[in-house]
Amino acid sequence: MQRGTLHPLTLLSDEAYRIFSSLGFTIANGPELETEWYNFDALNVAKDHPARDMQDTFWIKGQEGKVLRTHTTNATARSLERIAKAGKHEGAFISVGKVFRNEATDATHEAQFFQIDGAMVGEHVTLAHLKGVLLEFYKKILGEEIVIEFRPSFFPFVEPGFEVFIKFRNRWLEVMGAGMLHPQVLRNVGFDPDKVQGFAFGGGLDRIAMVKWDIPDIRFLYQGDLRVNQF
Amino acid sequence: MNMIISYNWLKEYVPTLPDAKALADVFMYHLCEVESIQERGGDTIFDLNILPNRAHDLLSHQGIARELAGQLGISFKDPTVLYKTPISKETALSVVLHTKECRRYTARIIRNVKVQPSPQWMATHLQSIGARSINNVVDATNIVLFDCGQPCHAFDAKKLSNESITVRMAKKDEAMTTLDGKAISFLETDMVIADDDGVLAIAGVKGGTKAEVDTNTVDIILEVANFAPVGVRKTARRIGLLTDAAKRFENDLSPDLAIRAMQQLSALIAELCPDAVFEDIVDVYPAPQEYRQVSFSLSRVNTVLGATITSEDVEAILRSYGFIFSRVGESFSVDVPPLRLDLVGEHDMIEEIGRIYGYEKIIPVLPDSKTPVEQNEIVQRIHAARRELVEDGYKEVYTYTFTKKGDIQVAYGAKGKEYIRTNLSEGLRSSYELNRQNAPLLGQREIKLFEIGAVFSTEGNEVINVAYADNDGVVEESLATFTEGMDLSLEDIPVSLSTEKFVPWSVYPFVVRDIAVWSNEADRELLQSIVATFASEHCVRPPELFDSFEKEGRISIAYRFVFQAQDKTLTDDEVNTTMQTLYNAIVQSGAFEIR
Repeated sequence: MQRGTLHPLTLLSDEAYRIFSSLGFTIANGPELETEWYNFDALNVAKDHPARDMQDTFWIKGQEGKVLRTHTTNATARSLERIAKAGKHEGAFISVGKVFRNEATDATHEAQFFQIDGAMVGEHVTLAHLKGVLLEFYKKILGEEIVIEFRPSFFPFVEPGFEVFIKFRNRWLEVMGAGMLHPQVLRNVGFDPDKVQGFAFGGGLDRIAMVKWDIPDIRFLYQGDLRVNQF
Repeated sequence: MNMIISYNWLKEYVPTLPDAKALADVFMYHLCEVESIQERGGDTIFDLNILPNRAHDLLSHQGIARELAGQLGISFKDPTVLYKTPISKETALSVVLHTKECRRYTARIIRNVKVQPSPQWMATHLQSIGARSINNVVDATNIVLFDCGQPCHAFDAKKLSNESITVRMAKKDEAMTTLDGKAISFLETDMVIADDDGVLAIAGVKGGTKAEVDTNTVDIILEVANFAPVGVRKTARRIGLLTDAAKRFENDLSPDLAIRAMQQLSALIAELCPDAVFEDIVDVYPAPQEYRQVSFSLSRVNTVLGATITSEDVEAILRSYGFIFSRVGESFSVDVPPLRLDLVGEHDMIEEIGRIYGYEKIIPVLPDSKTPVEQNEIVQRIHAARRELVEDGYKEVYTYTFTKKGDIQVAYGAKGKEYIRTNLSEGLRSSYELNRQNAPLLGQREIKLFEIGAVFSTEGNEVINVAYADNDGVVEESLATFTEGMDLSLEDIPVSLSTEKFVPWSVYPFVVRDIAVWSNEADRELLQSIVATFASEHCVRPPELFDSFEKEGRISIAYRFVFQAQDKTLTDDEVNTTMQTLYNAIVQSGAFEIR
């Protein structure tokens, strides 16, 4: 019997899970059809803040307050809430999953794609740790020779917030958003921000796959075409 | 939020600015993304993507200049001391606010202005950032807007019913035509500026034609106000007028800025119209902005950033930004400048210090986690299901969540993708059909596929299903059912990720040709080598040996070849010609007979 093959995004997400597990992260998951609370409010995205324009969201017809999640940060929020409720002060989570944005599709944009999202909290979890973890991850995924840079950015759920850039094959690529969890987010999931701090990050998995293997069109990944199973 | 910045304009505030190239790095590593840099007419134009938390104060040349001065430790030329305060006399202008949505309204009458083309420097400033020069009065309001970030407006005083301005919510069925000729009908949730007869302007968005300044205007009323963000945003979006003014108000401006802008605008008009007669500023400001202090400790800065910043570093940063602060040991208390609405708590100061100090100086450290990693049962089940299917020869595909039909509909979905799937089977059936047609390309007799993913229904909400397809059809089960009794504890075998590159496929049709050859046992390898060489030169995949049998001491061997061009549809003739070279090679070897 000839063995079957796995989709490239599965190979990549399994590898991501292995790398993050070795760094002490527990795999988390959450629903794709999510409440507005876990997708936006808990993450400090205010109702009328222009930041909600930053992602064009699929709202569900006839179900007030339900959305197709725009990031897997919902899984992170749910997991942090779980350990906060259990009275724990530290933990780390990683999740890979499908997310949705209502935008026109082309070679680099899809209405559905995969995101990798993670967070670590504790009494002394620092930005230096965030840098360490992401550097380790990208080295393992893309090769030891990569260079990583944190450039100032803004996401409502973190402060300070960054765009993470990777220099890969002599090109700078924007690969993730990241930062230190905003005190309001820590409060929303049940931590005391004076006692617990931490970092969070999230970015497209498809983009990593496209960069790593030179896949020219994101749409190839979702057409059910076996010709993408090349690895 | 994009802001177009002229290098020459900036330089008026920070004369010792480094060159444009060096500036780009300062922006990128300490402030915001630079979307583009263009050399234009002896100037360099930056398109900056200002972050939402700094849209209060950085959608302006002064704001950017102040930021750069702090970042680079160079001097900032404070413009306010340069403003000539025009002598003014008492005014009868009345301003009444009927809504809290207007947080401050400053206005002043200026009589005897002369409306004419702007001086060259003003026209150049506006043109450099892509704005149009209209006349000196209108241009002055725009210069102040792009200079300090405060929207300003000028009305022709004689066109008002009397010298009295009201800020109120619109009445039902009220209407107005904007300066650019757009007819607007209002809702009662829209805030407007009005005289006794009707609407003069949409508050914070756009002026109307009624009191438009033109070349015959002699008396003007300047408006420099502060409107609450949410209302302006809703109105601007509803009527589709995202003006430069609306963009700034919707990001929340400090009311403190209004009076400074009024002084700047007045000084500019005094310079442009030496004969103008100024009346006193009317300033209605019911609930003045409260001034804040923010405290932070150095140890907290270092605990969050994982850095070793010293008190001296912090002091140097605060000083170069002109912050007024006090320090007791490692505790700092900062008087927040009124325009810095983003600085509210300690975490904001940690970001401020980190950003200015430089994130590149923070050394990566791997965390030393003591918490054991927990198992995730859903992921274990997914892995178990995959393992089983792959071992049975099934190949994994991903298909679309969006479908034409389903139970749950998304708002504003693309046509034919308005619903989310209730099952995986339909997507998998299309996938099966696609791959079955491509079977020769894939070198596959039998197509065996699977997908694992979430499906959605009104009753079940969201469930993870497993579906697999083969010659016998499609089977779909819930993940729980499919993995019942499976060993979930099996570790995945780590595979190292391929370092090969993806090979894109041609969008043109492929053509299949078969050949059958009589051979002797001894010459099989020679034949194999001829067809392999041929296929590597002309085909998209290696030859497939699809049939072989023995008869009367000879072997019949049949191969299949797949042809496909990257750039065109191959014709029969082209493929026949190519196949002929194979026939020739086989015949010339003398060992075979083509059946």
